[in-house]
Amino acid sequence: MKKYTVKRLLTSLFTLLAILLILFILMQLMPGSPFNDEKLNEAQKASLYAKYGLDDPIVIQFFRYVGNMLHGDLGVSYKISKNTPISQMLETRLPVSIFIGGFAVFIGAVLGLILGLIAALKHDTIFDSLATIISVIGVSVPSYVFALMLSYSLGFRMQWFPMLYNAQNSFHSSVLPSISLSMFTMASIARFTRSEMLEVLDSDYMLLAESKGISGASLIFRHALRNALIPIITVLAPLIVDLMTGSLVVEKIFAIPGVGSLLVNAIQSNDYNVVISLSFIYSAMYIGIMLVVDILYGIIDPRIRLAKKGD
Amino acid sequence: MRKTKAAVSLLTVSALVLGLTSFNTTVFAETGTSDLNIMLETPVESLDPQQATDGTSFEVIADYTDGLMQMDADGQAVPAIAESYDLSEDGLTYTLHLRDASWSNGDPVTAADFVYAWQRAVDPEIASEYSYMLSDIGQVVNAAEIIAGEKDKSELGVTAVDDKTLEVQLNVPVSYFLSLMYLPTFYPVNQAFYESVGDTFGTSPETVLSNGAFTLDTYEPAATAFHLTKNEDYWDADRIQLPGLNYQVIQDSQQALMSYQTGALDTTLVNGEQVDQVKDDPEFQTIGAGYLWYVSPNIDAVPELANLNIRLAMTHAINREAITDDVLKDGSIPTYTAVPMQFAAGPDGSDFSEDQTKYSDVCAYDADKAAELWAAGLEELGISELTLDMIVDADDAPQKVAQVLKEQWETTLPGLTVNLTIEPKKQRVQDMQDGNFEAALTRWGPDYADPMTYLGMWITGNSNNYGLWSNADYDAIIAECTTGDLCTNAEGRWARLYDAEKIVMDDAVIFPLYTQANAEMLSSKVTGIEFHPVALNRVYKNAAKTE
Amino acid sequence: MKETATVGTAAAYVPVDADFKLKDNAGDITIDTNFASQSFWKDVFIRYFRKTSAVIGLILIILISIMAVVGPGMNDYTYSGQELSQKNFAPRVKWLEKFGIMDGSETMKTTTGSMEINYYKDKGLDDLYYWFGSDNFGRDIWTRTWSGARVSLIIAIAAAIIDMLIGMSYGLISGYFGGKVDMIMQRILEIANGIPRLVIVTLLLLILQPGMLTIIFALMLTEWVGMSRIARAEMLKLKEQEFVLASRTLGAGSFFIIFKEVLPNIIGPIITQVMFSIPTAIFTEAFLSFVGLGIPVPQCSLGSLISEGFNSFTTHPYQIIPPISNE
Repeated sequence: MKKYTVKRLLTSLFTLLAILLILFILMQLMPGSPFNDEKLNEAQKASLYAKYGLDDPIVIQFFRYVGNMLHGDLGVSYKISKNTPISQMLETRLPVSIFIGGFAVFIGAVLGLILGLIAALKHDTIFDSLATIISVIGVSVPSYVFALMLSYSLGFRMQWFPMLYNAQNSFHSSVLPSISLSMFTMASIARFTRSEMLEVLDSDYMLLAESKGISGASLIFRHALRNALIPIITVLAPLIVDLMTGSLVVEKIFAIPGVGSLLVNAIQSNDYNVVISLSFIYSAMYIGIMLVVDILYGIIDPRIRLAKKGD
Repeated sequence: MRKTKAAVSLLTVSALVLGLTSFNTTVFAETGTSDLNIMLETPVESLDPQQATDGTSFEVIADYTDGLMQMDADGQAVPAIAESYDLSEDGLTYTLHLRDASWSNGDPVTAADFVYAWQRAVDPEIASEYSYMLSDIGQVVNAAEIIAGEKDKSELGVTAVDDKTLEVQLNVPVSYFLSLMYLPTFYPVNQAFYESVGDTFGTSPETVLSNGAFTLDTYEPAATAFHLTKNEDYWDADRIQLPGLNYQVIQDSQQALMSYQTGALDTTLVNGEQVDQVKDDPEFQTIGAGYLWYVSPNIDAVPELANLNIRLAMTHAINREAITDDVLKDGSIPTYTAVPMQFAAGPDGSDFSEDQTKYSDVCAYDADKAAELWAAGLEELGISELTLDMIVDADDAPQKVAQVLKEQWETTLPGLTVNLTIEPKKQRVQDMQDGNFEAALTRWGPDYADPMTYLGMWITGNSNNYGLWSNADYDAIIAECTTGDLCTNAEGRWARLYDAEKIVMDDAVIFPLYTQANAEMLSSKVTGIEFHPVALNRVYKNAAKTE
Repeated sequence: MKETATVGTAAAYVPVDADFKLKDNAGDITIDTNFASQSFWKDVFIRYFRKTSAVIGLILIILISIMAVVGPGMNDYTYSGQELSQKNFAPRVKWLEKFGIMDGSETMKTTTGSMEINYYKDKGLDDLYYWFGSDNFGRDIWTRTWSGARVSLIIAIAAAIIDMLIGMSYGLISGYFGGKVDMIMQRILEIANGIPRLVIVTLLLLILQPGMLTIIFALMLTEWVGMSRIARAEMLKLKEQEFVLASRTLGAGSFFIIFKEVLPNIIGPIITQVMFSIPTAIFTEAFLSFVGLGIPVPQCSLGSLISEGFNSFTTHPYQIIPPISNE
């Protein structure tokens, strides 16, 4: 197991480096430059290129960037916030996105599990249909529409929650954005929980457990749900990364200083370093979470761990 | 126990994530109830006065920094840090006398601070995008050479005679020189402070110095919310009535309006769709934004567009009223001149583009005439059909306008097909610079209050003359007005500028569409905010808010 | 729990009826489906129609597809024809207006109160009907909704099918050969998936001409990964089974085994995955529209309609409802 983990870690590092190189090449393909404002002339652009070392060959730029990154230097922003070190921008923004995304995952996972469980346990009843309808709505309505509806009803009409993000009151003002983000997660989790639970409840070992006299909550949570969790985690894992790296639309609507809107702005304004840094963080989180998921599998289902050992 | 671990671990992961950010739920006392709550559409790009180029950054920098001059309610330059000035007989040397003012760290504001800042503005290493304000526009001695790297920045034509006297040398007399002085590019920077913070200058409240009406208390790069407090040590502190400014960046206009309705904002922009909702409200108003929107045909690269009849047909086929009244609805004004309205006042104080019917024979909505010209143009070219690509910014308003233009052109001009290519603004600009376009929907904002900020674009070889139009008479007039005989003769220059504009219009070099306005809500509790289409869009020095 | 735990120590336990219960699969065992004399597809067909929710879903999909084909032609409007004097009209339907619903009036909340407007009456256009209302250019939302649905469906289905072909082959090959091949192919996949989708898609749209083909291509590039995962997992499960071994012993080549032997056995999960990737494709397209890089105007898709309607959400909510209910 230890050897396997070390091997996985090493390949992950290699993968990350490859991703970084690809990102650099992609940046070269991007049309336009961060400095093609109408009001800049050729000579000024050339001097800006020279100032930031963008006129060097891509290989040199790449190694210089990797070298700087090892010292924790992610470069400076060229456009969005001129000359600001990106590490300084991320310091305040990343936690906001992670918090709201994490909150959304939490709400989505809990509500989704509950909905899915109800639907599975009360199979073919009105509750089941209701849960199905809720999850269909959750999947098909875009999160920004939810965001605006929530903001209009709970924020503007009822005034229960602030309509805009407020750094001084981050928890309270994160509620609406998190709920609107969580709808998709909730719906997917509910759907998977329902189908997995139905399968598990129908299986022979559940019958065995039941015949052993295990009943009620213990039967459902310790025996049934545990076996249904693996596919659920598989679905949840990539969603976590997506949510925690920020959502452009929800950030835009609630005026959240997160990283999702930053990435889109950066792509559209050719702010190379910002795109590369954010994409890299995304990749690192993605690969990291995939690693964690593999390890979680082992905890939930010991058979998987054994199988790996046997390989 | 291990059996419950699975379910629990999932919850723990989520809980851990929640724990990552502190639950800082202590509700701050709402920052002073009579702070002005201002909505911004875009975040600040830079607080470095010599690096900033966008309206938002300019507005915020001017909140806490004073330059030599400031804008009065009508947009005229009035003294700020410069108490008075002398202009030499030949109009080439300004001597400015500075008042006693201090930076927020206690240092006095001196002439050396200006010299240092101006040298930064032209320093090729800083590579300021607005350096042309000192060279092409301000005509400061040696500015162009320093930018080109031919001379050292110490040779710039600005010197500190003593702590309180600044002398500026110009290449040619510049009639609007003083009105440049309220532009943040010309604002002072304290050298000792700048060197002490190094590269982090302008990235936090600790790394900026204030000598203006307010001081910055909370700010982070590209922040969505930040706050400024009144500067009690400001030289003109008695005039400032607001205790502070509370900025909030909101990119979604519906959220902004709802926040305004709850009272969380005192002023907000509304988009065209919302105007129906608010147009009867006494707090609703439209404010000129100065930008001229126009279609730029690529005369050089598209042979069909080189035909004058085709161009005139296209400009006659545009119903500009329909665009502004039915689609934009934000108070934008249809424009039939190459210089937009309400930003440049002439020697007699009247608006340069007051009269919109001047060129009505070459630029007006007339479907029949358009069809006639079109037929004539097609015949000259010997074709019966024409397909054009128009590049358009991927923003809301341009996309809407482009769709209407397409429909108007295609219905009025038989045989014309217009394809719209929607792309991010950066790429649209790049395509125009590369000459890789057939027609483009674009805009230009005035840099200073003089028609030259527009007319200067169409001279041969100007980097913004994307259509590569060229006319020797036109070039001659512009040269005469910038560096020639007419520099010092305000009335004569004004008349010649009309001649230049006429050439542009007669030749349909651009198809002007409208002068942009912003539809805003402004709380009735608030008075005294000054709105300007040039340089500083909003000034709060005279603003007050009642409870 | 306690009772059963003590079984061993207590006196011999005599089972009673209550201890036994039939496994709840009565429906499945009464009919011998495995050996019944009916074809595979007939079996699928019968089982499918036993589920009401599935049938409802199918009917809806068929209905939407039909409307996407014939809907835009049902009235005289075109998707791009503008009538600026008739913008933001509320829905009005001939037969329903008698009942006081969809009669072309709407209540608009303004900052100073609310007002009831009926543009049809105000402008004296008694014979005019916009079934779903008109948008802010005076275009018919009915026509735009269905032509948008057409565009979205084409994009989604094309993307899903191409995904299936690429992802499936990739996953199957990677899973079948295993070892070094698998290792390398999986690393490539990890790299492809590690780069945020947004970056790839927006870059592609910036480099290529925006349009339906580019969007399909961009979706294809990013969506195949999920498909290949499933295909690989199924392949790993199946490749050690007897029938594969049998086929190999009989001298079948690798590609014959992959595509002729294994593929038919995993078609179920693959189809499920395709079905899931269709809404994802519609969503991604909707997001691109939101960023302004979707289908070029004045064409429309469900996504671009939503983001257009979104801007009028607080003023004319009816403009956003049709495209959403379609999704």
